[in-house]
Amino acid sequence: MSMLSTSLKNLFSRPFTTKYPDEPANLPPGNRGRVLYDMSKCIFCKKCERSCPTSAIITNKDAKSQTVIRHRCIVCNTCVEVCPTQTITMVPEYSKPDTAPTVNVFSVDLPRHEYRVEHLPRYDGRRKPE
Amino acid sequence: MSKVTTIPFGPQHAAFLEPLNVKLTLEEEKVVGAVLNQGYNHRGMEYALSLDYKKSQYLAERVCGICSFHHSSAYCQGLETIYGIEVPERARLIRTIMMECQRLTSHLLALGHIAEAVGYENLFMQCFREREHVMTLVNRISGNRVHYSMNVVGGVKRDLSEEGTKDVLVTMRDLRPKLEELQRVFARDSTLSKRTRGVGKLPKQAAMEWGNVGPVSRASGIPQDTRLDGFAAYSMVQFAPVVREEGDCYARMMVRMDECLQAVDIIEQCLPLLQDGPVAVQVKGHPKGEAFSRVEAPRGELLYYIRAKGTLGLDRIKLRTPALMNVASLLVMLPGCQLADVPTITVSVDPCICCTDR
Repeated sequence: MSMLSTSLKNLFSRPFTTKYPDEPANLPPGNRGRVLYDMSKCIFCKKCERSCPTSAIITNKDAKSQTVIRHRCIVCNTCVEVCPTQTITMVPEYSKPDTAPTVNVFSVDLPRHEYRVEHLPRYDGRRKPE
Repeated sequence: MSKVTTIPFGPQHAAFLEPLNVKLTLEEEKVVGAVLNQGYNHRGMEYALSLDYKKSQYLAERVCGICSFHHSSAYCQGLETIYGIEVPERARLIRTIMMECQRLTSHLLALGHIAEAVGYENLFMQCFREREHVMTLVNRISGNRVHYSMNVVGGVKRDLSEEGTKDVLVTMRDLRPKLEELQRVFARDSTLSKRTRGVGKLPKQAAMEWGNVGPVSRASGIPQDTRLDGFAAYSMVQFAPVVREEGDCYARMMVRMDECLQAVDIIEQCLPLLQDGPVAVQVKGHPKGEAFSRVEAPRGELLYYIRAKGTLGLDRIKLRTPALMNVASLLVMLPGCQLADVPTITVSVDPCICCTDR
């Protein structure tokens, strides 16, 4: 009997769910969405690259860039914690869906927190396996 | 003489969330035999976990989505035993709170799933609505709904702030009457009762022989609960395992429902115990030695065996997941039931194929 009254109540009340993606998702401020680099602070110590559990970061000291393979990133917050210069920040919003395997390249010639979207390089941009 | 037919149940079936195959032998509508076929979801987790112990806690979380925090807790506990370090009390309490939050989400999912398997869509929606409150709560605390990424070897990464503590308290206070309402529905509803009472009986003796763990064994009258051993901060809280004697689908369902309220109790007991202090201790060097680690995941006792050899890679890591033990006992529950009851019985075990196959 109680379920019948619940059903009737639900029939005439507002929906409990939000209409994502038409409406913005209800994300709390501490949500781990995606990482952004502020390249003016980066000292290329490669700590983030070494500590990344999924090897989603490639540091290129010569080109002065940091490449994030977005599809590999598991947003575990490890790179944010190990960074000695607070270069990396975690923002609550999720990245937009992709239609191809892409990487986000942060480099010093770009403004703060902005990146170039490039196609995923062969062998993930690492040395070719023997 | 009735005709005997064999029907494959799964790996793709509307009642299953994950691939599991049961080959049923039927005499008319009655099940006379069952053969389990597992391994559709094998990912070689044990090998991958042993590659780099520093990064494995994130992979351990991804063994299973529903008991992710229990997996990483078990892994971290194992390494903490090898290092011989004492985890700060605050970290242990935070782990306990998060584990109980995850138990709430897991049990509410299982209950909703049972309701769906018997064709009670409305109750399924109600379970998931209450579950959503817990999911958004853990999102606010940890930053993610499923993979909390809070555990590190030596404690936790994210502290529970002052507002976070209040948030947990308020959410649990709001949740309790709703869960009590759900409990009334699950206990008294005639539809559920007719589909679950006396269905899929697992006698106490069989539960012991098949080594069942968690809610499945407790529903068969075995008062077995790893939390009584007092890992994390369970030694600091008062609780008694929920035990029922019937051993049928109804008992398994009600054990989960009662454990939801018990989880709220445990969280409420933990919150006043939180004292200021560190949440993690640093560990140095590579681990060397071996350790067993046991935690009570929502489905039962989860066991990790870790053997480290003093290098970055671990020598061996072995997982014994609760679902592996419970899914096997389907071979006792299924013979004798009707074909229409098979989804209810399999779902009442709460099979997690991610855990089983890993």
